[in-house]
Amino acid sequence: MLGRRGTLPFLAGPPALWLALFFVVPLLLIAAFSLRAGSGAVGPAGAWVPSIEHYQQVFGTPAFLRLLGLSVATAVGIATLATLLAYPVAYYLTFRAGTRATLYLTLLLIPFAVSYLLRVMAWKLMLGPDGGINSLLQGLGLTSEPLGLLLYSRPAVIVTLVYVWVPFAALPIYAAMQRIDRSHLEAAADLGAGPWARFWRVTVPLSLPGALATFFMVFIPTVGEYVTPALVGGTDGIMYGNIILGFFTRSANWPLGSAMAMIMLVLTLLLVVVALRIVDLRRVSL
Amino acid sequence: MRVSALTRFLGLSMALGLILAACGTQGGGSPGASSGGVESQAPEPNELAILEWSGYEAEDFWTDFAQAHPDTEVTFEFGDTDANILALMQGGSQADVFHFYTGWQQFYVDAGLVREIDTSKLSNWDAVPDAYKELGQIDGKQYFLPWDWGFTSILYNTEHVPEVTSWDVLMDPAYEGHVSMWNDGPAAVAVSSYINGWDETNLTDEQLAEIEADWIAQKPLNAFYWSGEYTDLCPAVQDGTVWVAYAWQGCYATALAAGDPVAYATPEEGRNSWFGLYGISADTDSYELALEFLDMKLAETTCANAVSLFYYGCANGDVMAAIDDPVLIEAFAINDPSILESTNFTPLVTEEQRTAWTAMWERVQAE
Repeated sequence: MLGRRGTLPFLAGPPALWLALFFVVPLLLIAAFSLRAGSGAVGPAGAWVPSIEHYQQVFGTPAFLRLLGLSVATAVGIATLATLLAYPVAYYLTFRAGTRATLYLTLLLIPFAVSYLLRVMAWKLMLGPDGGINSLLQGLGLTSEPLGLLLYSRPAVIVTLVYVWVPFAALPIYAAMQRIDRSHLEAAADLGAGPWARFWRVTVPLSLPGALATFFMVFIPTVGEYVTPALVGGTDGIMYGNIILGFFTRSANWPLGSAMAMIMLVLTLLLVVVALRIVDLRRVSL
Repeated sequence: MRVSALTRFLGLSMALGLILAACGTQGGGSPGASSGGVESQAPEPNELAILEWSGYEAEDFWTDFAQAHPDTEVTFEFGDTDANILALMQGGSQADVFHFYTGWQQFYVDAGLVREIDTSKLSNWDAVPDAYKELGQIDGKQYFLPWDWGFTSILYNTEHVPEVTSWDVLMDPAYEGHVSMWNDGPAAVAVSSYINGWDETNLTDEQLAEIEADWIAQKPLNAFYWSGEYTDLCPAVQDGTVWVAYAWQGCYATALAAGDPVAYATPEEGRNSWFGLYGISADTDSYELALEFLDMKLAETTCANAVSLFYYGCANGDVMAAIDDPVLIEAFAINDPSILESTNFTPLVTEEQRTAWTAMWERVQAE
């Protein structure tokens, strides 16, 4: 058996090496690209002249900043909706499903058996002019022609991403609720608290870390989302991630794309830190 | 102590990663394109990597090579715009052969990314008209092989749109929500230049600012900006979502063959015409095989497939001369020999123009 000193590198070494090579190094390269003068797409061994011109260009372009703000707001909305919709699912699995919880949990995870792209494409078909929703509306006589708002719009991006995230979002909340000591609920009942009081004053505070984990788990990747907006967002639903992608692909301007990516990364981290300071988890975790 | 050991371990890992990343970049040869015809000392690998546009990996597009080299492993990497293809090549793509379109030739030569083609080894070279061959030449050297060609114009739904006579129909608010522009900055600059009668290779800053403002105003008219001709645009044209589109003739021929109510405009400003070119990577270990691949691209069956199955023109003049399908005759305007007189051929652009135009387009999208 390994001693305590040998355990850490043995257990943490492989994943740390993996993360260093495939996360930290690429991140450092992006940071280095963002500080490289000129445009174009070059390998890291190319000429590297330090410059902050790309950051100046991003901060000097109001359209980029507005889109970043809009993308953050969209991500907050999607994360909030996904968390609110996932919460009752997790509650039911924890407190009401009983012995069928495992079965329901398995059913909840079935969508993951289908490719992410296929699930998004399914929504493209659903929301399209000949799709299920427009056909239903026209069949019921509620509309005379296909509604254009359904596809190629920001609402289409929100609906699709919330759908994609909800099953996944339920898992951290479910894990947090499972850790709730039932004796707290029994004590609250003994002290005269009704069902609603027990829910609001015991269950919600104790499950809040899971809900917050869910929120950030959805929010962080959604800020930089570009696949779903590209497929169902049209020109109205474009997000900041699409512009970053554009600078790496359509524009062949990696330094500017890297600067935009770094700005988004720093902003996202700042928002997470600020949010965690506002909601002090140590105070809500009993 | 444990923390400090872990820190040292992570530091060493990162340093190793940086060294590996630095070593893994594209070959550091001197700038300037390589000369062709230099034989490798070691035997060439029996595999070929192609940097292509999505859809061109279909074996119909390289059927002669597949039949001549059944044991060769051909793999594909994809780009979706000329800038993307160039970025991938500059970023160290391992492709032996790459495919891009007119206007971008000089960048590959200047960056030393392309190797000269030894045309004496191409058995189908004589079938290519001289005017086409010249498109692939820089400083008198044949760096690129011309292959597919076609038009860009306005594809429109005749049930919703009366006869189109100008590119400015893309800016017409009457078709709000039913327009689709290609997601490409240089294309947007070309269209605006046609509409305004400007020389796209000699635009002032004020003209470029005006172009940007025009496309920002045009943005709400689009259902979406399309990226893939057959994956994005054609389905939307055929299901009635898009009535007016910047399009290549392939989508037009597809919709026409399906009996959809579409037409392909000949704007008063002239259509645009483009040519697809293949280059051999300066870093390839499979030069002879790459030459063979290019030669087979010009072979009769492969070229005929490009024409009849995918509605692209092909550089093999014999194949084009044999076209008798009415849909193809219409798509290539073969019955209108005067059309080329008013056609705008895609010009070479400078790096400064490319950077300015693509950045302008990203700003348009962000608005």
